[in-house]
Amino acid sequence: MSLPVSEAARPADASLSLQFDDADADLLARAFRTPGDGPRAWALNGEAHRISLIDGFDRLLAWPTLRGVVRYPHQERTCLRVLREMRGRAILADEVGLGKTIEAGLLLKEYTIRGLVRRALILTPASLTGQWREEMESKFELPFAVLRSVGDWERRPLLVASIDTAKRDPHRVWAQRTSWDLVIVDEAHRLKNRLSVNWRFVAGLSKKYMLLLTATPVQNDMDELFNLVSLLKPGALHTYDRFVERYVGSADGRVPAHVPELRDRLRDVMVRNRRGIAFTLPPRRVHSLPVRLSPRERRLYDDVTEFVRDAYWSVSGRMSWAARLTLIVLQREIGSSTFAVAETLNRLTQSPLFGAAERERLEALRDDARAIPSNVKVDHLAGFLRSSDEKALVFTQYLRTMHYLKGVLEGDGHRVVIYHGGLPPAAKDAAVRSFRGEGQIFLSTEAGGEGRNLQFARTVVNYDLPWNPLRIEQRIGRVHRLGQTREVHVVNLWAQDTVEAYLMELLDRKIHMFELVVGELDLILGTLDERRSFEDMMMEIWTLRQAEERRAALRRLGDALVRARDQYDAMRERNDEVLRDVSDEVPA
Amino acid sequence: MSDAEALRRFVLDTLADVGATVSEADPLSWIQVPERVRSDLEVPSTFAITFDPDRVGDFEAELVAPGSYFLERIVALAASRGRWDVARFDAADAEWIQQSLSEGGLGSETGVHLETVELGETVLLLFSFRVTLVSDEKRERFHLIAVSPTTGSAWEVDSAKADSGLTALPQARIEPDLQAAYRLGAEKLRETTREAVGAFRAASLGLLEEEVRRIFGYFDRTIEEIQAADPDGSQDLLRAVRGERDRRLAETVERFDPKASASLCAIRAIQVPIARVHLRLPQGRGIDATLDAWSRRVDGLACDVCHGIDGPWIPYAGAVRCVRCPPTPAESARPRGRPRSDTPRRGTRDGRGSARSPRGSTARSRAASGRRRAP
Repeated sequence: MSLPVSEAARPADASLSLQFDDADADLLARAFRTPGDGPRAWALNGEAHRISLIDGFDRLLAWPTLRGVVRYPHQERTCLRVLREMRGRAILADEVGLGKTIEAGLLLKEYTIRGLVRRALILTPASLTGQWREEMESKFELPFAVLRSVGDWERRPLLVASIDTAKRDPHRVWAQRTSWDLVIVDEAHRLKNRLSVNWRFVAGLSKKYMLLLTATPVQNDMDELFNLVSLLKPGALHTYDRFVERYVGSADGRVPAHVPELRDRLRDVMVRNRRGIAFTLPPRRVHSLPVRLSPRERRLYDDVTEFVRDAYWSVSGRMSWAARLTLIVLQREIGSSTFAVAETLNRLTQSPLFGAAERERLEALRDDARAIPSNVKVDHLAGFLRSSDEKALVFTQYLRTMHYLKGVLEGDGHRVVIYHGGLPPAAKDAAVRSFRGEGQIFLSTEAGGEGRNLQFARTVVNYDLPWNPLRIEQRIGRVHRLGQTREVHVVNLWAQDTVEAYLMELLDRKIHMFELVVGELDLILGTLDERRSFEDMMMEIWTLRQAEERRAALRRLGDALVRARDQYDAMRERNDEVLRDVSDEVPA
Repeated sequence: MSDAEALRRFVLDTLADVGATVSEADPLSWIQVPERVRSDLEVPSTFAITFDPDRVGDFEAELVAPGSYFLERIVALAASRGRWDVARFDAADAEWIQQSLSEGGLGSETGVHLETVELGETVLLLFSFRVTLVSDEKRERFHLIAVSPTTGSAWEVDSAKADSGLTALPQARIEPDLQAAYRLGAEKLRETTREAVGAFRAASLGLLEEEVRRIFGYFDRTIEEIQAADPDGSQDLLRAVRGERDRRLAETVERFDPKASASLCAIRAIQVPIARVHLRLPQGRGIDATLDAWSRRVDGLACDVCHGIDGPWIPYAGAVRCVRCPPTPAESARPRGRPRSDTPRRGTRDGRGSARSPRGSTARSRAASGRRRAP
């Protein structure tokens, strides 16, 4: 039996009176016993209080002073709307690339400044925990920790956790026992099924405010939208039966009905900014620079590959995780430069992972690598850079390749700025400033400029290609993002008959990855029904012994990627159909 | 002054006040702080700050901006200092007495006669309070409440005028009865904020009620739908739905539960000249009041209608009422056997050129009435 509404809603006392702070008594006891700090201190005391007064959400306090964040009006409007109208419970459903993370971080910051959020939990896919922690720290000065052990639930008031870890015992118990001021769920379309452990876990969290981030609230059918909204505000779309009766127009649940009315209801819980009306990202131009390796480089590449294949399919057949990883690194390094691979080969000659015969082969490979004085690929890079006056970001995965490139490019007369994860923060800041000023080439490893505004440049050179396509996308995202006004050039250097050539085949020719907006690739790969990482898939194809087998496996993966891209395109259309104009705002 | 300038001024003044040396080299400010405040600010002896977010990191400069950790520490430092202070207000001459009476509605122009004046001095206490209202949002106000321990009255002070005309007396030794004065100040603060607190509570409970209604509506109808679809269905499912409803309700109640709190920020004692006056009302009754030169308040009176102690005042029928109370029947009643008013009517020959003054005319009428009925 339900309680009467008024009974549940109203606290027992009929009025609210001021509660005076117990600490007042201390001040009364101490005051005037000794001389005060003087009239200026008295005035500053008042000023300290006045300056820190909070008056609701009359304005965004942190917005004007965020570090390394280009501020866009649609983000400010979104935040004010979530704070004032949605009262901190919203689905942030901006299209990909419009800065949902910034909006969520800003909302969190505004709440923390006001003292309304002290305990916050960010739930993300495992691969994004580090990125969220870093962004919250660098852009919002919010000291989040990534969940490592059960003790963190008590110790860390600001926590980033992989949803897959958090939903499992013993973590689940701790997470649901805690009273959270704010819960943020990234990639919230993973909560589409209310019978799933994910959905029930998030529903079971005790929270004051909640933000669900997803660019695609509707992935397959309308049920998903209902489930997402019910998590946030049960009843906002009626009960399930009523929702189906009113807003679902087909038996398979894919066709919406009474769409304008549905959008009206969604406006109470959802903000969706769209690209393309007031704001359009400039186009990208992709330049593919295939390289023919020199005979010595070719031979080394083939020999290293043969070693990797032999070791990968060794008689024992059951490789340790460490050995497997080592082989992947080796194969990736040889795709970058002979300088990158030489040192690893040297290190492996001492490694217990390999037997005596293998170590002997490694020694020979090391000697071959060290004997190669220069790489052909760098000539292509230098040729390209000579042809343009533009500032360019040149990315490589490896420090040794980076140092090699630095020497060559400086010798060629370029002003080169280096940037990598090992630099102290001040040196990183100085590097970005130098590139903004006199620097011509920003030579960077993967850590390159994460979270930095480098949109004043518009050329990205991939000197080598990471096997994880999301890393390639992140590189491009350093310049092709909100704030870029000019056409962006992406230059890919890759050697023929290498893993990188396979990558180009899949990513460029099959799914046209270089034309996607940053963020879309993740959604495409997310629809691949595949448990293995992209890197693992590439390695497994590459290590097949027969060229015929390799081609067939590559074709199968290519077809799966094409299907995933088609699925993504269809999903985007479905979301547009249901959610277009769901925000009252002028589209971004 | 813009918000940004005010913030900058506050930070640099606070640093200077704690003995720091500030050298400005835009966009950075180099600060050298004495040992005793280093731990409060968590800084080395010399460091740089900047108010420009794009310059953070130059020479490891700390950002000072809303929400920044450094500003938080500076605010905490400033709020921990200057918590009591002694000041003095001096009046140049005795004019303030007549002026205070006029401002309080009891000037000679109202027919009130100042009979005796006894000059003296007292200590007023000025309490600053921070009032915080919280539910799922936060609203804060800063209030200054003055208390006169002599008369036992308390009133709100406009922040803009609080410092006017005061001179510092940092070495003065006084020991006022703070407990009693604080109680008066706290009661006054309650009274001052009652309306805002009530409105905040009503708004929060309105939102709570709306949420609770929606949650009940959703879960109860969901239960009905489950039962209609399968009357012999699992009781476990229904229990789970009810469990989720109760959890959501608890979460909602906590979210919108309004709270109102106040904390004392600082206290200032103000030595001020006072005048104890004896006034004769137009109808002949005598009243005593206390005036102080700083607030110019006429203290020690009570409204004949609402018993409030805050002026300005209107003398009527041998008593005073505050301007907020409506005229009493006695005050409005026309004197029997007399003309409606002895004020010349506008538009008549006698009334030509006379200023329209309803208050003046009422006062005269009341005075006439009062005289007639006086024994």
